[in-house]
Amino acid sequence: MAGATHVLPRVMPRPALLRRRAVRRAATFYLLVSPWLLGFVLLSAVPLAGALLMSLTNYDGLNLDYVAFVGVDNYARAFSDPEAQHALLRTLLLMVLVVPTGLVLQLLLALMVDQPIRLSNLFRTIFYLPYVIPVVAGAWVWKIFVDPSGGLVNALVGAVVPDVNIRWLVEYPTLVLAVFTIWGAAGGGMVIFLAGLQGIPAEYREAAMIDGASPAQVTRFITLPLLTPVIFFNLVTGIITTLQVLVQPMLLSPGILGLSPGTVPPLDNYLYPVHAYIEIFVKQLFGYGAALLWLLFAVVLGLTLVLFGTSRRWVHYGVEA
Amino acid sequence: MTRAAVRYVPVSFFAVVFALPIFWVLVTSLKRQSEFGSSLFPTQLEWPNYQLAVVLADFMHFALNSLVLSGSYATIVVIVSALVGYGFARHRGPGRNQLFGLVLALLIVPTFVQFVPQFVLFARLGLTNSYWPWILWALGGSPFAIFLFRQFFATFPRELDDAAEVDGAGPLRIFLQIYLPNAGPAIAASAIFMFLWVWGDYLYPALLLHQDNTTLAVRMANAYVDPHGNPLQTVTMAGVVLYVMPLILFFAFAQRFIVRGIVTTGLKG
Repeated sequence: MAGATHVLPRVMPRPALLRRRAVRRAATFYLLVSPWLLGFVLLSAVPLAGALLMSLTNYDGLNLDYVAFVGVDNYARAFSDPEAQHALLRTLLLMVLVVPTGLVLQLLLALMVDQPIRLSNLFRTIFYLPYVIPVVAGAWVWKIFVDPSGGLVNALVGAVVPDVNIRWLVEYPTLVLAVFTIWGAAGGGMVIFLAGLQGIPAEYREAAMIDGASPAQVTRFITLPLLTPVIFFNLVTGIITTLQVLVQPMLLSPGILGLSPGTVPPLDNYLYPVHAYIEIFVKQLFGYGAALLWLLFAVVLGLTLVLFGTSRRWVHYGVEA
Repeated sequence: MTRAAVRYVPVSFFAVVFALPIFWVLVTSLKRQSEFGSSLFPTQLEWPNYQLAVVLADFMHFALNSLVLSGSYATIVVIVSALVGYGFARHRGPGRNQLFGLVLALLIVPTFVQFVPQFVLFARLGLTNSYWPWILWALGGSPFAIFLFRQFFATFPRELDDAAEVDGAGPLRIFLQIYLPNAGPAIAASAIFMFLWVWGDYLYPALLLHQDNTTLAVRMANAYVDPHGNPLQTVTMAGVVLYVMPLILFFAFAQRFIVRGIVTTGLKG
């Protein structure tokens, strides 16, 4: 009876059996990932190829029947479009205002709530809360907070300097937008830093303490170097998300909230994605808008690659905890 | 004494700064509209604002829309992403690593770049004004959730699969009976984030849906004005509180899972 189980290998040559098993294995793999693969092809690859084509045409959403190929005209136009240039500069300015400050704040919050303190769960929840609050609600929060007549900010400023009536959203729209963005993102970054901190074995810090290092030295020479992968991760995601900020400036526009076709944020908050949005959904210039968006992607990709290039110098993946 | 001060003073300071804007929403939601610009705190708590917020915006109708859309999206996308994550973590095929690289690469492509051609596609297929775009997105899985599940499942001992395979279980049964039931933290974390994404998203429902079948997010943007078109800030704040409250209660309850989900799935790739 035992001999019967050995019949199969002898009948079928070994390589053929292995090949069949490999095919079956590959089929299983592709079957399992097929929903994503299908979604990727139909909802990402094809539309993205379409967007690339679109950016080379004068498509306006309606003229599909007599759409014309215009070559790189749309790209050339983007480089000579003063509004696009202004918008790009405003987006880069927002990035400079938001990303470094936000990163330091997130790290600080994580270090603070990682200490053995009472109510640390309450503190974590408070810092995390703004991250959970949807963008529309967040825009309302800040609109009311800085409202010239009903806001707390002017009330506090008024307590120090009487008779001021600052119209924050008109006079300092980028400042409000930056604070809103930092406030909204801090909790998400903090949680990721917390996870990173919890991944650092306690012995490392304890050993340094025993050797006579001060808490500040432990943070500087033990914790921070071991956190560099997390810093890098939060830096990259921070830059990618900030370059895409679109809805916040529109919702913060003075007046009633909402994206009616007429809603154009004040010039200072006229960010690059806002410009693309208006070209596409207000002016119906799909071709030109697609070109603008591809250029945004190029900027995102370029910055990401530069960061990855520098990461070798300052990100330490050395320790396997 | 001083050590305690170093521990508690900065963290308390930041907590106050972070909470003040939210505190101000609560305060404003309880003022009479006539008090909005004139008095700092309400002379008496104006609870009817909340009633008005529900009635004026047809709140329940849009809350139901949001719940249906977010709930169905989150349910489908979590199941699909778990299955795909399991495939990437446990099964091999030619081009697997390149494909997984593609999953991650999509995270850098600006969402708006992808959305615009999708929008044209959906409009051509007559799928705008319906929830179909979200269902289709969900059926394709989410790169973020796929990554999360892949990392999570990669930590499972392979002996489990071997034992199940010896017992004659196929890959799908192994997934359903071994992997999925043990993926609690990853399911909780991704379900919460996916639900929150749709519940909070403003742009897509604003562009894809109609005034009646749109979500609460869009409704909250401009629901509350008096008959002359003047904004009713106090009622709006009550509406915002009602819109956000379920999320906050949910997160306060689920906070443990979120941190654990991120810790266990790891960032180290």
